[in-house]
Amino acid sequence: MSSTTIQAIFDDDDVLLSAVKELRTANYHIEEVFTPFPVHGLEKAVGIEGTRIAITSFIYGLIGLTFAIWLMDYTMITDWPQNIGGKPSFSFAENMPAFVPIMFELTVFFAAHLMVITFYMRSKLWPYKKAENPDPRTTDDHFMIEVSTANDVKSLEDLLKKSGAKEIKTKA
Amino acid sequence: MSHYEAPIREPLIFGDKSYHDISVDVAAPVEGKANKLWWIAFSIALTAFLLGIGAICYTIGVGIGVWGLNNRINWAWDITNFVWWVGIGHAGTLISAVLLLFRQKWRMGINRSAEAMTIFAVFQAGLFPIIHMGRVWNAFYVLPLPNALGSLWVNFNSPLLWDVFAISTYLSVSLVFWYTGLLPDFAMLRDRAVKPFQKKIYGLLSFGWSGRLKDWQRFEEVSLVLAGLATPLVLSVHTIVSMDFATSIIPGWHSTIFPPYFVAGAIFSGFAMVQTLLIIMRKVSHLEAYITKIHIENMNKVIIVTGGIVSVAYMTEFFVGWYSGSSYEDYTYLSVGAATGPYWWAFWSLITCNFIFPLTLWFKKARTSLIWSFILSIIINIGMWFERFDIIVIDLSRGHLPSSWTMFSPTFVDVSIFIGTIGFFFVLFLLYARTFPVIAQAELKSILKSSGENYKNLRKENHE
Amino acid sequence: MASNKKYWRNVEELKADSSLVERLSQKEFLEEIPTDTFLGDKDNLSSSSTTRRDFLKYVGFTTAVASLAACQGPVLKSIPYVVKPDNIIPGVANFYASTMADGTDFAHILVKVREGRPIKIEPNKMAGNWGSTSARVQASILSLYDNNRLRGPLAETKETDWSSLDKTLIESLNTLKANNEKIVVLTGTTASPTSNKIIANFAQTFGNVQHIVYDALSESAALDAFFEMYGERALPNYKFENAELIVSIGADFLGDWQGGQYAASYTKGRVPVNGKMSKHIQIESNLSLTGANADKRIPVKPSEQVFALINLYNAITGSNFASNPTPADATIKIAANQLKKAGSKGVVLCGIQNKDAQILTNALNEALLSEVYDFNSPRFIKAGNDEAIKNLVAEMTAGKVGALLIYNTNPSFTLPNASAFNEALKKLKLSVCFSMTDDETAQNSKYVATIPHYLESWGDTQFQAGNFGLMQPTINPLFNTRQFEESLLIWMGKNTTFYQALRENWTTSILGTGTWNQALHDGVFKGSNSLDLTYNMMEVASSAAALLNQTKSADFELNLYTKISMGDGKQANNPWLQELPDPITRTSWDNYITISATDAKKLGLENFNVSNGALNGSKVNLKVGDAVLENVPVYIQPGQANGSIGLALGYGRTAGMQTEMMTGVNAFALMQDLNPVQTVSIEKAAGIHEFACVQLQHTIMGRDEIIKETTLDDFINKPKKEWNETPEFSLNHEEVSAERVDLWEKFDDTVGHHFNLSIDLATCTGCAACVVACHAENNVPVVGKHEIRVSRDMHWLRIDRYYTSDMTNEKAKEAGIFGTGEMFNTMTIPSENPQVAFQPVMCQHCNHAPCETVCPVAATSHGRQGQNHMAYNRCIGTRYCANNCPYKVRRFNWFKYANNNEFDFNMNNDLGKMVLNPDVVVRSRGVMEKCSMCLQKTQLSILTAKSEGRPVKDEEFQTACSSACPTGSMVFGDINDKQSEVAKLTEDVRAFHLLAEVGTKPNVMYHLKVRNTEES
Repeated sequence: MSSTTIQAIFDDDDVLLSAVKELRTANYHIEEVFTPFPVHGLEKAVGIEGTRIAITSFIYGLIGLTFAIWLMDYTMITDWPQNIGGKPSFSFAENMPAFVPIMFELTVFFAAHLMVITFYMRSKLWPYKKAENPDPRTTDDHFMIEVSTANDVKSLEDLLKKSGAKEIKTKA
Repeated sequence: MSHYEAPIREPLIFGDKSYHDISVDVAAPVEGKANKLWWIAFSIALTAFLLGIGAICYTIGVGIGVWGLNNRINWAWDITNFVWWVGIGHAGTLISAVLLLFRQKWRMGINRSAEAMTIFAVFQAGLFPIIHMGRVWNAFYVLPLPNALGSLWVNFNSPLLWDVFAISTYLSVSLVFWYTGLLPDFAMLRDRAVKPFQKKIYGLLSFGWSGRLKDWQRFEEVSLVLAGLATPLVLSVHTIVSMDFATSIIPGWHSTIFPPYFVAGAIFSGFAMVQTLLIIMRKVSHLEAYITKIHIENMNKVIIVTGGIVSVAYMTEFFVGWYSGSSYEDYTYLSVGAATGPYWWAFWSLITCNFIFPLTLWFKKARTSLIWSFILSIIINIGMWFERFDIIVIDLSRGHLPSSWTMFSPTFVDVSIFIGTIGFFFVLFLLYARTFPVIAQAELKSILKSSGENYKNLRKENHE
Repeated sequence: MASNKKYWRNVEELKADSSLVERLSQKEFLEEIPTDTFLGDKDNLSSSSTTRRDFLKYVGFTTAVASLAACQGPVLKSIPYVVKPDNIIPGVANFYASTMADGTDFAHILVKVREGRPIKIEPNKMAGNWGSTSARVQASILSLYDNNRLRGPLAETKETDWSSLDKTLIESLNTLKANNEKIVVLTGTTASPTSNKIIANFAQTFGNVQHIVYDALSESAALDAFFEMYGERALPNYKFENAELIVSIGADFLGDWQGGQYAASYTKGRVPVNGKMSKHIQIESNLSLTGANADKRIPVKPSEQVFALINLYNAITGSNFASNPTPADATIKIAANQLKKAGSKGVVLCGIQNKDAQILTNALNEALLSEVYDFNSPRFIKAGNDEAIKNLVAEMTAGKVGALLIYNTNPSFTLPNASAFNEALKKLKLSVCFSMTDDETAQNSKYVATIPHYLESWGDTQFQAGNFGLMQPTINPLFNTRQFEESLLIWMGKNTTFYQALRENWTTSILGTGTWNQALHDGVFKGSNSLDLTYNMMEVASSAAALLNQTKSADFELNLYTKISMGDGKQANNPWLQELPDPITRTSWDNYITISATDAKKLGLENFNVSNGALNGSKVNLKVGDAVLENVPVYIQPGQANGSIGLALGYGRTAGMQTEMMTGVNAFALMQDLNPVQTVSIEKAAGIHEFACVQLQHTIMGRDEIIKETTLDDFINKPKKEWNETPEFSLNHEEVSAERVDLWEKFDDTVGHHFNLSIDLATCTGCAACVVACHAENNVPVVGKHEIRVSRDMHWLRIDRYYTSDMTNEKAKEAGIFGTGEMFNTMTIPSENPQVAFQPVMCQHCNHAPCETVCPVAATSHGRQGQNHMAYNRCIGTRYCANNCPYKVRRFNWFKYANNNEFDFNMNNDLGKMVLNPDVVVRSRGVMEKCSMCLQKTQLSILTAKSEGRPVKDEEFQTACSSACPTGSMVFGDINDKQSEVAKLTEDVRAFHLLAEVGTKPNVMYHLKVRNTEES
């Protein structure tokens, strides 16, 4: 049997937060929450696990560092070593101090950009992407919860009303 | 209650503001019409910009000889302007990154514009290393590609190449940092927009941001990590720029304290520029409620600190040069020779603008006066320009061999290009002020309840 | 036989009678291209059957054709040898021995010729002192390619051809002969036996002919004196290598005094060899190059020079001729004693243009029995006779002269009374000027018999008794020119060429046992010195008396002098010489009065630097007798005697010149009575003059380690540490010399060649021959007055000149103003009579080069042979290298200097470009350039040795500067070859590196200057 999704709109983040808690205690499954700004403690209340995007960034950073080291070792030491101001181009170790700035920059470059790209990909953000918030007000000052339930929609609506929802409608 | 904040902290948002009011106020300049003032400012900036373009074309067409340089002083206004703009370009990322790490809520009122300022400033900065080349058309040689003329690579020992990497990394990272922060606000504008054109544009710009819970979670994580990455980056950029001088062997350039001293100087000038812009913008765009005296004062405090560091650096340089007893240090940009020599005027403008005037900020009255903050911010930027001019021109004009001593005076081309970059900067900033959400409203909403004036008052009443 | 292979075009061909094969064999295209229908008028075009593909075919084709037609490359004419000339291998230079004798400069030279183009002058080492090349000799190669040269003979300023010219001239000469009118042949000093002989023959043929020799820079006085004392009109020769004490009174013998060419022998005695070196006292009014090199220099007014001479004579011979006291008397006393001590090792020189003064001097040297003073092998490079030329002008104005043939001299420019001369010249029945360019004299003469440059000519010389030289053409005459002697022969009706006459004369009267070919190959020939001169004792008292009452002192005495670069102005149209900074004033593109700071203050004259550092100065009007020179720039010259001013000759030429080169004022106008010393009145003129001065800071600013120097007794008696301290750094807690401290493991440079250049400051006279040699060898562009003015000089090699200042660190400490602005500002002011030091500075080719590390694109990096390379086509022109160079030797191409009308010098016309060295690239706009240690030359030596399968000989390694250096002060070579001279020099006690404490480890080393300051 099909389950219906209820969209409840709140106009205050604290009310939203308490409502979420009540829904959770009543074992309702919260599909999605749309908010105009990050409401602190909400993800805990909804109970979604933390993001691992920071870890990817760390890995990207390592890649960047490795690339930097390889690049400079190949160009300055292996492929075309030159006597530049007497600097020891015959040994990476000895010439390394001159390479530190680039190593750092490339590490940051890779870490930052690849992470942001990952974020955009995972959250499906790119030009010409259609916005998916059901109600335009959710980017202004309203908050929306999507709760799905298999049976008695009524009691859910009551619960939402009780917990301070301003509007309630069923998702088409 | 989660929104509790010590009542002694002064509110960061004035007036009886609701979430919706914030949206309205932020969207106002975008949705409203440009006033006369804006058009005047814009047309002036545009003319300056065109003048600059003309001068640059002339330079590239005829040769660097149209500048005032010579075979002893091979850099002057070009690199001075470069360092000056890069320095200015430090405040933004610093505010949004470092202050984010320190959980400084007051940053939220100003970080958006500060970052915009940063990016536009770095555009100007990036221009100079390119056009100062004798053969611009070969500028791509600085990229680590195997040279078309044989397998010759770039020279990773060169501070100039470090610059290439540092500046490009800094610019691009600041850009994505800034843009990611903009997404929710673009989304807000998109959803408010009534004109189909605006809706389309902001829909495009917002990358279809919907404000899902998971998105917000990632958003905050990404902001945090970017802040963590950007902080050392900010410090690294001017460190590396300073190495252009510090790693050389010219008396006055060859100085180990340059990196920290340059970074401090950069923040010094950066905050000054933020002051200049925001004090105007809060008036013009009616954002007094969000960019408050507290913001101005806090920035002034940062200026005191960094200005102090810079002054100490000056004294150190002066002392060490004198104490070394080496005759080669007699004419470095901070020395008796410079103070009494042909460039005395440059030396003393530096001292007055960067050391003497900022001292006034130790008085709260001056610190909280908008007018004075505004005037001072301009004085400081003049002073910081002179700092770079002194370092480059005075030091080069008095090198190791007295036989090679000479002087520099700019041509109209030098001046036009500098004016042009200022024009370009303001063209960008004015356009930004009309079309972008100039305040990070999403973030601001999240602190409304903790730091909003009305809510603070409410809490007071509840206490009694 | 032709192959009958069958190629398959189509599988259809398998079928015996395929219609397709048939069609293919007839038609190239499978279907008709409907051109006409397509190109028809509109309506049937619209209804045409042209397919889209056809249309695209046409479009594609037409665009292709159009674009092909559009991109036509520049056409460079290059003509291959049809018949390859003997011993010319493209890319390999030939060297021909020749001789320069243009009346001012006399030298035996080697001419480097590439593909038939002379491109460089090298000294002829076989010729000893006469083989050394001055700046002007080096630059003369460019005068060959002077774009303003006459293309052919002129008759009344119209172009003509030789046959018609000859016809008219022979006619008029014969008519003149018929009615026995006076024909005058006016030449500069030729010093050429054969030419003189031909002129003599000419005189015989045409009867009433007088040959007058006139030198713009006349030594008439000395010649007359010598004639009176020895019966030969010549100049004594001075063997400075024998000198222990040289006392020179106003004799600029390192400059143009008596024809110069003394630098080599002078410097032989200037290096302390086991504790002994010559001592040189200079008493003069202008700070000359010679004075700058003196151990002791006393500035006195020209009139006081005369008194000084008499006083010196009295002090030595004990006679007491009447004289006046001078500031130099104290020194003269000492000098006299030292001269007596030195005896035959001492010598007195005199630059006073006065016969009696010269007699006195010669008598003095005779009294000393000086070995330096060598009257028995005299010099013939000056023969001018002032009396004769004065009479000539008088006679001409009186109408006593019928014809004037002028060769190798420019009286219309150099005579003080030029206007009178020109008037008379115009009135003459016949006036012929033998000239290369349309100069002042040529413009005033009826006929111009255009002569070739000396590099296109035959000729011979006798510089000195027994010293003969040959001049041979090194290129076919560029223009329709004919040599002076050739013309004379033709007009005499002789049917021998000058070459035949020359050869005949040599075989009969000069060669003796020697062979012509050998002489021609060597360029020099040691003939017999037929002269045997004896001193006929004479009473000098009268001369002394005459001398005294001829000299009158005045408030301001003008002393006209010549510059190393411009001389008498013969080569004024030569951009290299115009741009060559004067060694003393470091100023180019100008002449100006030099005046002492005291006098300048008195007259309210000033020099000052403007905002871009460039030098500006006041102007004055000079008045000598009734001759006036207006708006003469003023240069405040330390060491200039108070009450005297100097002004360089040779500037202010305007005829047959390019506008850019018309610089300065003509000082000859003030040379009344052909006397370079004049009483002058100075008045300040309005306006400010803009100088082109490349050195704006004249003192060393207490950085004494830049130019190290010491005194002779310190050098002998004190340990090296006292006078040549090498900077020490602490390494592992012990002080070691900077050379040994290294941040990294060293590159191994012991394998193969490792080049070093050594420069001895004791023997460097600052003559600037190296600068021009470098200019010529390396295609260095000329950038013009303005660029020089704003410190954009392009010279790869410059000669820094430093004056001592009255303020030193020690004095400041005593005065308690050490480290104050007052000290710094007074330090920048040179002393009234400073000691002068020269220091040639070029790229030091540092082993730890600061420029290399900072180049982002690795356009400059270190070579295995120690050079610091520049990859021009990699350079993007960030100029960081130049900023980071402590020696400031890198030069940036601020503009496009070749093929640019803004810089209309030799690189902007096809003729001038012929001088370019094909082995060195002409740099493009926006790239950095600098000294390459003449990489092209060292590589050539290495490769030749390699192809001949032998090690390179030490002397084969040369740079342009080292080979041009007349004094051997610059030594270049391979330090890995332990036997080489330069390797030994690295061990020398006087050796030091410039700015050694910076730790750049240069491959150029200097040897410090030793001054012989011992009194008594």
